Amino acid sequence: MVEKGRISAFQMGRMIYLAITPTAILTTPAITFKFAKQDMWISPIWAFCGLITLYAVFRLHAIYPGRNIVQACEAVIGRLPGKLLGALFLLYYLYLIGIILREYGEFVVGSFLFTTPLIVVSGSMVLVCAIAVRGGVEIVGRFAELLLPAFVTLFLFIIIPIIPDLRVPNMFPIMANGITPSLAGAFVLQTWFSELISASFLLPLVADQKKAKTSVLIALLMIVLTLVVANLATLMLLGDITGGYTYPFLILARYINLAEFFTHLEAIFMAIWVLGAFVKICVFFYVTVLGAAQWMNLSDYRPIVFPIGLLVTLSSMWVAPDLQKLTFSISTSVTFSAMTMFVIVPMLLLCLAWVQKRWRGTAAKG
Amino acid sequence: MGNGKKLMKRLLRSVRQKSANADPQGQDPNPPTELSANLDENVRMIQSIYEDCSDVIFHDFFIGGQTRAVLVYIEGLTHIEEVDRHVLAPLQQHFALEPELPNIRKAIAVSSIKELKSTTDIVEQLSGGNPILFVEGEKQGLSVGLPMWEKRAIEEPSAESVLRGPREGFIESLRSNTALLRRKIKSPNLKIKAMNIGVYSGTKIAVAYIEGIAAPALVEEMMSRLRRIDIDGVLESVYIEELIEDNPTSPFPQLLSTERPDVASAYLLEGHVVVLVDGTPSVLVAPVTFISLLQSPEDYYERYVVGTAIRWLRYLFFGISLLGPSFYVAVITYHQEMIPTPLLLTMAKSREQVPFPALVEALLMESMFEALREAGARLPKQIGTAVSIVGALVIGQAAIAAGIVSAPMVMVVAITGIASFMAPRFTVGIAIRLLRFPMMLLAGFLGFLGLILGIIVILNHLLSLRSFGVPYMSPLAPFKSRDLRDVLARAPRWMLNTRPHLTGKWNPYRQAPGQRPGPAKGDEGG
Repeated sequence: MVEKGRISAFQMGRMIYLAITPTAILTTPAITFKFAKQDMWISPIWAFCGLITLYAVFRLHAIYPGRNIVQACEAVIGRLPGKLLGALFLLYYLYLIGIILREYGEFVVGSFLFTTPLIVVSGSMVLVCAIAVRGGVEIVGRFAELLLPAFVTLFLFIIIPIIPDLRVPNMFPIMANGITPSLAGAFVLQTWFSELISASFLLPLVADQKKAKTSVLIALLMIVLTLVVANLATLMLLGDITGGYTYPFLILARYINLAEFFTHLEAIFMAIWVLGAFVKICVFFYVTVLGAAQWMNLSDYRPIVFPIGLLVTLSSMWVAPDLQKLTFSISTSVTFSAMTMFVIVPMLLLCLAWVQKRWRGTAAKG
Repeated sequence: MGNGKKLMKRLLRSVRQKSANADPQGQDPNPPTELSANLDENVRMIQSIYEDCSDVIFHDFFIGGQTRAVLVYIEGLTHIEEVDRHVLAPLQQHFALEPELPNIRKAIAVSSIKELKSTTDIVEQLSGGNPILFVEGEKQGLSVGLPMWEKRAIEEPSAESVLRGPREGFIESLRSNTALLRRKIKSPNLKIKAMNIGVYSGTKIAVAYIEGIAAPALVEEMMSRLRRIDIDGVLESVYIEELIEDNPTSPFPQLLSTERPDVASAYLLEGHVVVLVDGTPSVLVAPVTFISLLQSPEDYYERYVVGTAIRWLRYLFFGISLLGPSFYVAVITYHQEMIPTPLLLTMAKSREQVPFPALVEALLMESMFEALREAGARLPKQIGTAVSIVGALVIGQAAIAAGIVSAPMVMVVAITGIASFMAPRFTVGIAIRLLRFPMMLLAGFLGFLGLILGIIVILNHLLSLRSFGVPYMSPLAPFKSRDLRDVLARAPRWMLNTRPHLTGKWNPYRQAPGQRPGPAKGDEGG
């Protein structure tokens, strides 16, 4: 076993929540608004990919207990093709962390530290994540456990003060053009929901397996709820100008004005949002490192943490030339590739595993 | 693979142990020898061991006027008047029986008498302050339990004073300290295991725990870690602390040291293990969590609302003591928009003539403050006040007037200083004070981002730290909701029904549930 640490189902749920939400709140509202307009708050409810992915993850884990999806590949389609598919998986993960890290870096540089080089911002984050990942899944789990309350408090701290200024008419007419716009707006969100595949890597490490399923499903529910609330608040406050901002939710933080004294609190927002992003990057980083160590049959994953950290930093530089191209690719190609890798491939694997089981069952009988 | 590694480790350890044994320092300076029936030979043996030790007295006399005997004791460690009255007087003046050991024992009116056969035992008893009686023709020496040495009276520990609560504190004598514990916890389940550590100092160590509450695995782990120690001398409990910690390079203490018997007893009742070291008033408690280091005994001696409020005040100021100056530096350097405009104008005015960037200013003032604190602590009290006056005048007034630092900076440093003194344990306070400096640098370079990255690194360290197998940040992470009522609040005593879960099997219930008091029923008409 490469990883000796164990996490609780509770910790896993929190890790999954923080592995999806922070960047989703930040990047998606603007893109969703483009397609769904006043129905943007309905979009997060169409979390099909999340459900499909989780279904595949849990069924595969039931058939091959104790194995994550990369290990299951080998068992389903044979050693060599399995290794190839596993490599593809890990490379895609590397690409995806690159995107996440770039989103984070662009946000910090674009909104707060205007003159700091991007590489310093993303490099320091990778360094900090590498230190945490070296501590193992237990440390990452405890981080999620400890930082989730801070994250939720921040979220409420932003939403509650602006409640008096929310204009409900902004959300009317609901579903004026049927459900199509909200479905189109949900398209970009499918990338985030398909990221739930990370659950496959954490599931074998959970000590209390019975609670794991409930915990992850609650996490999914909370993710949807958070996004609905965030999109609703953005829509009701900003209305038609939502699409004009890169980070509409940040505008909400900037809008806070308590007693004419506490104003411009977006720096605090950034600070705590960085904590969320940290857990997100940690989870993906950890999954990549663990998968790579298992793929290469290493006895320990710690020696490859820093080399992969370097690859992650480079990948974040290479994924896109600038923020506009990054956002464009997130709303187009990344969604397709993520759905292919994280939804279609696991489902195909699951079907194959089923067929194999059936076939073996009948062969044993005959 | 795993097996090979284990084998290598064991081999290495055994080699290390062997080399330690070969080391002349690690060897027992006096190999044990059996006593003989010849009095002169025995006395010569002891004399050769205590050669050039002018404080060891050999007193020759005759028992009942006929049998030769020698009384050996160390001056200053023995209650000499009692020896005269209860040992020498009956043996020299009123002794009429056969001069055999059983009869001599009968004649000596002392409660603790031991018969000793080897020189090692004799040396141990002698250095413990017990005089030894050698009798002609006897192969055994008699140790008479009459030790007495100068010790401090039991006083209130000055480093941990409380407004309400017991005022007694541990002192330098191990026996008095164990007695203080035994007076608080009278159950025979309070076990006090003894051992000696230190080849030359031969310091007595006592490990106290309550059987049935403390996890047996924890006690065993503590004993095995103590047994592993091979050192020349133990002068303070920190010697032991540094040799049994889980992570010796961490700035955070993984054992709590206290001088208060009530604190030690409270921890004993929660299933912790207490290590008492002879010669020092500070005893060690293990395991501890980070949160428990932020708690003060006073929290439990106040009404629970007050206790909770004070606890939160302490958490808040703990945060300030770590982040105060770095937050200020980050805001001044990168996030000025956060400061409300009227305040910003005032601050800009006061910073106008300051030549340094905020980071340099903060580093300067913080190191100055640390220097003042250290100087004040080391100097005699009379000069100490002078230092603080000079510090306040020069650093406070004059530096602002001279335009070297800004007034808000001095305020921030002062508030941070006060906040750092709020930590109830000095060891935690000093760790936080040290970590403040890298945090300031990070804030100066990356603003809030650097601050958060620094917090993440510190958290990462705290989350991976363990104290005797107990995660340092529990019950926050790993999350234990039942123990939170003693962390987020100080729940009223009738709600604190369970002990915190430390490690392994534990005895969860500390009191009967449902003890919430209330007015007597049926009295409402009155």
